Amino acid sequence: MRNTATDIKSAILRLGSMSLAIVLLSVLALASIIGTVLIQNQEQADYLTQFGPLWYAVFKALGLFDMYHNWWFLSLLGFLMLSLSVCLWRHVPRMFKDMRNRKVIIADKSLQRFHHLHHWRLPGVSIEAIRAHIDAQLTGWKLQTAEKSGRTYIRADKGRYHKWGYILVHSAILVILTGGLMSVLLGLRGNMSVPEGASEKTIHFLKGSDMVSLDMPFEIRCNDFFIDFYASGQPKEFRSNLTIIDDGKEVLTADIIVNEPLFYKDVYIYQASFGDGGSDIRMKLFHMDGSQRTTTLKSNVYETYTDQKTGISLEFTNFSPFNIENMAAPGQPKQFQNLGPAVEFIVRGPGLKPVKIKSFMNPLIVNGENNGSFMLISLTGNASDYQPFYLGMDLTNPKEWQLFHAFNKRVTSNPESNDPQASLKAFRHALSEVYGNQKPEQIQILGGHIMQGMRALSNLPWPFIPVLEDYDQIYYTGLQLSSDPGMDVVWIGSTILMLGLCIMFYMPHRKVWLVLDPGDKDIRVSFGGMTNRNRLGFEREFHGLLTGLEQAFESATEKRSPA
Amino acid sequence: MTAVSAQLMSLETMNQGKIAFVRFYAYLGLIAGLAGLAYFGPGGYGGETDLLLFLSLDGISWGGIGAVAGLAVGAAISMLKPEWSDSKSASNLVPWLDGALLMILLAAVMALFEPNQALISYENQANLISGRIVMTMNMLFLFSAVSYIAYLFAPAAFIGQLATWSAWAGVYAGGSALLLRWYESYLISEEIGHAPVSNLYEVFILLFCITSIIYLGMERRYQAKALGAFVMTLVSAGVFFGIWLDSVGQGDIKPLVPALQSYWMKIHVPMNFIGYGSFAVACGAGTAYLFRHWLEGRGGYTRLLELFPTLDQLDQLAYKAVAIGFPAFTLATILGAAWAAEAWGGYWSWDPKETWALIVWLVYGAYLHARISHGWHGKTLAWWAVAAFLVTLFCFIGVNMYLSGLHSYGQLA
Repeated sequence: MRNTATDIKSAILRLGSMSLAIVLLSVLALASIIGTVLIQNQEQADYLTQFGPLWYAVFKALGLFDMYHNWWFLSLLGFLMLSLSVCLWRHVPRMFKDMRNRKVIIADKSLQRFHHLHHWRLPGVSIEAIRAHIDAQLTGWKLQTAEKSGRTYIRADKGRYHKWGYILVHSAILVILTGGLMSVLLGLRGNMSVPEGASEKTIHFLKGSDMVSLDMPFEIRCNDFFIDFYASGQPKEFRSNLTIIDDGKEVLTADIIVNEPLFYKDVYIYQASFGDGGSDIRMKLFHMDGSQRTTTLKSNVYETYTDQKTGISLEFTNFSPFNIENMAAPGQPKQFQNLGPAVEFIVRGPGLKPVKIKSFMNPLIVNGENNGSFMLISLTGNASDYQPFYLGMDLTNPKEWQLFHAFNKRVTSNPESNDPQASLKAFRHALSEVYGNQKPEQIQILGGHIMQGMRALSNLPWPFIPVLEDYDQIYYTGLQLSSDPGMDVVWIGSTILMLGLCIMFYMPHRKVWLVLDPGDKDIRVSFGGMTNRNRLGFEREFHGLLTGLEQAFESATEKRSPA
Repeated sequence: MTAVSAQLMSLETMNQGKIAFVRFYAYLGLIAGLAGLAYFGPGGYGGETDLLLFLSLDGISWGGIGAVAGLAVGAAISMLKPEWSDSKSASNLVPWLDGALLMILLAAVMALFEPNQALISYENQANLISGRIVMTMNMLFLFSAVSYIAYLFAPAAFIGQLATWSAWAGVYAGGSALLLRWYESYLISEEIGHAPVSNLYEVFILLFCITSIIYLGMERRYQAKALGAFVMTLVSAGVFFGIWLDSVGQGDIKPLVPALQSYWMKIHVPMNFIGYGSFAVACGAGTAYLFRHWLEGRGGYTRLLELFPTLDQLDQLAYKAVAIGFPAFTLATILGAAWAAEAWGGYWSWDPKETWALIVWLVYGAYLHARISHGWHGKTLAWWAVAAFLVTLFCFIGVNMYLSGLHSYGQLA
């Protein structure tokens, strides 16, 4: 019975041991690595394809996909808290005792063990004179004196409260972990997307591997969302104008930007992301059946338009009003240009390979020269595989579309269309048909447009060319809402931690002893010192004191014995 | 020669007693004045126009008044309580503040050589002169490393002096180049202007300077010149990486992404690099320890060994470096958490950078525990210091290169 009790006691004491602390810190460090290598909280299906069924099951059982909240990681943290508590419980009473009683009288044996030790024999000087010199040298030190069997013991301390550093640091970590626990248990953190003009009440967040939603006690309306750009095209600022609606009443309207959240009813509201909130899109379809016909299509981002007759569908995926690209050739100084609004969509149809298209509203203008309408086409569907496709004609100019048809009609009706002379003649006729007597400027460039159009359009597999005509942009603002009652506890813990670390590292406990032992002819003075930290610094300090004392003693003995 | 040493003597007295004390208070007043301007001044703290605010007439008057007031307070204290003016903190800190002032003056002089405003453009930054000063810094650090290594084999005082002075020159070049770069960012465009701690290239320069300063401070205090061969070699390795970064276009001044537009950046990042720099010095001391240990094991090499600090001293130097780095790194992590709380909605998100910062903290925490407990000797801890720095390096560079997360600063969405 007694045995088990002592066993338990020794086991508990072992929890606070230094070697366990080192092991725990190392294990926590190793475990933490896993979560940084394995991307956390992804879709389960992605993990399954990445690792295969066996390893997926193993990793899932070990909770590696939500590493920092699984039972064994949290147990490790709990174990750390336990170990810290035991450690404090074991050492703190002794430390308080040590700080309270500082023994002045030191045994000769202990003094001999000091790294720093010096002896003098001072003839013809009084104890009082020596004391006066010592007091003068040890300003700033806490002095205590005691006498025993004729000897005078002087003990001087600096940084007596060093051990508070240890106590504060270790308690601070307990406080921080407690704050963290409060955050996990009582805190709240989720996302909501609010389209411009709409309002939202529900936040979504991950719980384990499931997405959960929760209603907030108030509603947030997004009045407006702006993006401000630098001249070089990088985003400069994301700003949402929000109105909080509580109990049907508008209580607060404010702007938030990244780094400047809004605070309402214990909840912080952060600017976290943004995206297209279903912009209105108007496309112009240029039919390529030779009829010169164009039709208009109205849709929204995230919606799919299907052409009833051909079965071809356009799935609109994104809209961006600014598309700033570096137009310089590789190796040349950068030259940024805004290519204007563009819409992205996926074209599907019977017998067609689906492709992703980014269609620009404006023609491509490089160095003031109109290069005609263009689009980016990705055969794989990845944005990184976009290749420019030049349509030649500027489709925002209806005359060019007319001219293309007038020219095309003449060329196809003429069997000798390959003859350059004949095509030039056909182009002239087409020009006068479309423009009449008012000949356009830059006929050469116009000719280039039509020739490129002839080449390009024959390569397109679709019955029409979809070109962005107009838009009304609607953003959604991505907000993160969080409420964290543990946060203040963490800040308190952090302050204590810093305070403790400063005491621990920069206020080492330094102790020196001076033992005055009066003999027959002289007084024997022993001077010893020790520290628990920063030995190199103490060496200098001790040496400084030693030289000071040495000089003082020398002058004192010289004065007394002028022989 | 005597004239020079007399001058040095007078420099020494400049850093002691009343002169140091009063000067220290003048510096404190200057800093307080500028801080006051930043928070309470006309227009308040803009965050993005901070440097221009300090360089404006307001900045000069607030700073000037602060400095004069500090001077007066210092003078008054030293008259009324003369024993206070022997304070060690004043005489210890004043040389560093002098150095910082000198660095600012250097940058101001260099700024006179900037090209005409009309010739400065965002697209082509090659004509800005901070790039050339950074290259000078690179060369000085490389030269210093070579000199420190040469000193091990030809321990002439002259070579040692050359190594130390070139390292100091490198620190001043790097520091003033960064200050100049800060100013240049405003020359390019006021909306782009920001503190030069926003990308890998800039913080690399900061890291070289901080590492060198910490080492040089130790060299001065503890006469550990042989350590320079190890620390400055580490810095040189970084210098090559920096040159490569510049060659792939990472050296350009770029506008700040919204996530970085915060005053926290100016506090969190430099504080972090005080940690990283100290850990680099600890790694240098650990390597020197292992090298000396290896030399001792082989026997001979008495001449070389005489130059080295003893094993015990090297062990202590590594500890000293960690003792500077650990609190700084802890504070940097706490400040980072405070920033995260303000920008991301939570003080801790287990983002890879955060997690690796925790790992670094745990590794050095374990180092400190191992040192205090019994049974752990110099050699194990020297290895630990080296390995821990590798972990630090991964936290600093590896995470940005290999792991995704909130610290990658691509797009917001």
